[in-house]
Amino acid sequence: MSSRIPLVPENAVPLPSLKANNGLLSWVSSIDHKQIGIMYLIITLIYFLLGGLEALLIRVQLAHPGNDFLTPELYNQLFTMHGTTMIFFVVMPFLIGVGVYLLPLMIGARDMAFPRLNALSFWLFFFGGILLYYSFFTQSGAPDVGWFAYAPLSEKPFSLNKGPTYWALGLLASGIGSVASGLNNVVTILTMRTPGMTMRRIPLFVWMMLVTSLLLVFVIPIITAAFAMMLLDSILGATFFTPAHGGSAILWQHFFWGFGHPEVYILILPAFGIISEVIPVFSRKPIYGYEFVAASTVAIGLLSLGVWAHHMFAVGLGNAANAYFSLASMLIAIPTGVKVLNWVATMWGGRINFATPMLFGTAFIIEFVVGGLTGVAIASVPIDWVVTDSYFIVAHFHYAIFGGSVFAIFAGVYYWFPKFTGRMLSETLGKWHFWLTVIGFNMTFFIQHFLGVMGMPRRTYTYYDMPYWGSMNLISTIGAMILGLSVLIFVWNILVSLRHGRPAGDNPWNAWTLEWATTSPPAVENFELVPPVRGRRPLWDLAHPDMPDEPGAKTV
Amino acid sequence: MANNRMLVGFFIASESIFFLMLILAYVNFHGSVTDGPTAVNSLNPVVTGIFSLFLFASSFTIWLAGKSLRNKNHFMLKVWILATIVLGAVFIFGQGLEWSGLLDKNITISRNVFGTTFFTLTGFHGFHVCVGLIMLSLLLGLALAGDFKGPKSDAVECISLYWHFVDGVWVVVFSVIYLWAFL
Amino acid sequence: MSVLHFLGTAWSFEPWAVIFALALIASYAALPGSRLNGKSLLFASGIFLMVLALVSPLDYLGRNYLFSAHMVQHILLLLVIPLMLLSGIPEKAAEKALALPIAGGVMKFLGNPIPAWLLGVGSMWVWHMPSLHDTVMKNENLYIAQQISFVLTGVIFWWPVFAPVKSGRLAPLAATLYLASACLGCTILGMLITFAGAGLYPAYANPADPAGILSYIRNDLCITPGVDQQIGGLTMWVPGCLIYLAASMVTIARWYASPEPDTVNIPAGEGSIAKAGSYVRD
Repeated sequence: MSSRIPLVPENAVPLPSLKANNGLLSWVSSIDHKQIGIMYLIITLIYFLLGGLEALLIRVQLAHPGNDFLTPELYNQLFTMHGTTMIFFVVMPFLIGVGVYLLPLMIGARDMAFPRLNALSFWLFFFGGILLYYSFFTQSGAPDVGWFAYAPLSEKPFSLNKGPTYWALGLLASGIGSVASGLNNVVTILTMRTPGMTMRRIPLFVWMMLVTSLLLVFVIPIITAAFAMMLLDSILGATFFTPAHGGSAILWQHFFWGFGHPEVYILILPAFGIISEVIPVFSRKPIYGYEFVAASTVAIGLLSLGVWAHHMFAVGLGNAANAYFSLASMLIAIPTGVKVLNWVATMWGGRINFATPMLFGTAFIIEFVVGGLTGVAIASVPIDWVVTDSYFIVAHFHYAIFGGSVFAIFAGVYYWFPKFTGRMLSETLGKWHFWLTVIGFNMTFFIQHFLGVMGMPRRTYTYYDMPYWGSMNLISTIGAMILGLSVLIFVWNILVSLRHGRPAGDNPWNAWTLEWATTSPPAVENFELVPPVRGRRPLWDLAHPDMPDEPGAKTV
Repeated sequence: MANNRMLVGFFIASESIFFLMLILAYVNFHGSVTDGPTAVNSLNPVVTGIFSLFLFASSFTIWLAGKSLRNKNHFMLKVWILATIVLGAVFIFGQGLEWSGLLDKNITISRNVFGTTFFTLTGFHGFHVCVGLIMLSLLLGLALAGDFKGPKSDAVECISLYWHFVDGVWVVVFSVIYLWAFL
Repeated sequence: MSVLHFLGTAWSFEPWAVIFALALIASYAALPGSRLNGKSLLFASGIFLMVLALVSPLDYLGRNYLFSAHMVQHILLLLVIPLMLLSGIPEKAAEKALALPIAGGVMKFLGNPIPAWLLGVGSMWVWHMPSLHDTVMKNENLYIAQQISFVLTGVIFWWPVFAPVKSGRLAPLAATLYLASACLGCTILGMLITFAGAGLYPAYANPADPAGILSYIRNDLCITPGVDQQIGGLTMWVPGCLIYLAASMVTIARWYASPEPDTVNIPAGEGSIAKAGSYVRD
């Protein structure tokens, strides 16, 4: 039979300080899920600042028509790196990192099912990012082909520099890391739950991480194969995506979006999970329609696999194909709408406490609905044909990914920071951060809807002085600056609160899931004893033995 | 532990999607080669078919290895793992022969889409076979060191699961590349 | 010929379809302990829809003009109708039928997820191989065999998810994976048909036009053979997958509706030790 060896060095300290007792080595060699989670969060914060800086440079260049702040070549590199960074090295790893930190705590486990695999995932992500950013220091510069790297632009005759090769290699490495964490999450959730924590009682964040992880497992290999083909094209002279030699550029689009559309849901489903934890706690009510939120997640996950061609309406797949994909894409609005209704119904009649996590949670609902509605609009082929490749699309996906995922990420950081560090983030700075984010974000992106409809093309380093374009772009740029300021306040808040924040205690928000049952930050073993789980809100049941969530639990 | 087998199961599912994409790429370009090498005019299904039999046989021997372990027959466990390695190595040798024959005729990955898709698909499969051979060799080393007491071992079960998968992929790849062209 | 006239006359009351329907009804009636109730109504509607799919102008169009019409019929016969038939079988009757010596054993074996999946997805793939489909279009007997096999393999496919006997059903998460993987199989085939060049199924390229509506289809509806094939492939792909998806929603709904089995099995006392991650050496 099997013999177990200790998993974590006894001296591992789960506080995000490199100066802690044992220095850098205890972090680099760690296989503790909490330390790995914290490392994910720190690295993604760094990439968030980098990606944000790239965005600000782009906005400065676009501040007025005919600007020459950036060369066209550098502009192309910056928007490529901005998109790639934000998607693959900020939102995705942040959500994976929060998952790695919280999943074992939420299901009452000691660690992930495979701690070493967990560390491997992190380091693949880490070095993948370094590989990508190393391209800036090469002679030819960073990749300049967009985050979608359409062939044949990304292929040899058109891309003689090595940028796209670094891009594919970096994403290949971090993608394999993502598959590994997906596998680890799935097995952890399915096998490591504490007694009583049945699959129908797991917190919704865990449920959504399960669906996301399954998507990671089944969807990342699509792009892994495509990256492999792209690398063979550029290194060995294969001809997958070069039409001049018998290949097919459309095939790249199919492969890329076959991955790329489910990827959108990989970015948003864990964010839904965060919101589904935050909103009930700050409304002092159990989530309304747990079952509907859970089932609609599965529906979204499955639907997301079959609608990628709506990114390709302008390619010319034929009217029949366009019509079917248009219909299927609109269907996604149903399960998503179910979720929004559930969150609103949870807030309805609740005693709402608008602390910073809840502010971001509430704003998430509003901003994400805007992104969702424009999404339904461009799922209709004629509208897509008008606005495709324009700033309308830029506005749409920023409302979905920034207004959606990133707002949820902020909500999650304010919510769980006390658990991660033992200290509260400053509410005052938090409110400054929140309001500047809301103002800056909407100022930057709402106006881009209009610019898009007026015909301003995306991915172009400058534009002609058309009526109103200059002033509208200037407004957008000022908004971006405000957004940048808000991020600085956020970082300042973290740095200050780490040292001087109010001590949090075990459960500062009076929340109900198991991670709040242990100390903040949790000890190496997570729990001395996991409280008995007799319903979906174990800590509520513990505090109110006379009126548990599940009536049957009372008699036990 | 059920954990390990579950992990390998999901890993195999993930890998299946990877191979599915390579196969779809092959299928996509199947009819589009108008001149130059194609499956019909440059491959030899009989020779490859014979080497494939070695790979299929190795699935059987790894199954026997697991069975020997369940019966606590440690000697036969080692014999069957060794047999699996030998059979897999013969298959890889056969693939090497086929590749060098093609390269001699200047059929390369960059010649046309047939070369591109053929070498990519068989190459990635061969890579997986090699990874499997490395894992089997580790298994053999551990078995020789007396690590497996039986009747159960996750290491043996997981690696044989992976090996069956590599074998199953070849059934599909062989059908798509060779049988489709010649039947 | 006007469209209305076509819809009025293109019915083909083929005896085999009626016989097959009667045979199904007879075996339903012969099930030990079956009686008329709401479930039999579901079964009867399934039979009605099946007969309709087999004798209506849809069948005529699918055999003579449009691949897409064939595909609609195919989805009805393989996915929709078998589900209605299966859901119409009462639990008690099915239990008794499964206890029968040979028939019960065969059904128990076929109802296992792997054979059921292979039959359900396989009948989709095999019957749509272009050469076989072409042969079927010319051969009446093969055509009958094809239609009947759609219904039968469809019933077998749904068995692991919607078996009338609860013990025959997969656990909800496993059922979702079962359905999702079948959806993948159907997606890939639909995708291949959609994006393959026109003329994959030559029988539909130049129909003999027995009813004289070809010019209406080609010129007024603008359905060229290429568009026809695309609609066919997409019908398999998108609505086909939506059926699997809806089915998995039903399994999840059923799961949440059923009582929690281990409510009583939680350990008493203060709590339990957390499970550790595994690093296993044998």
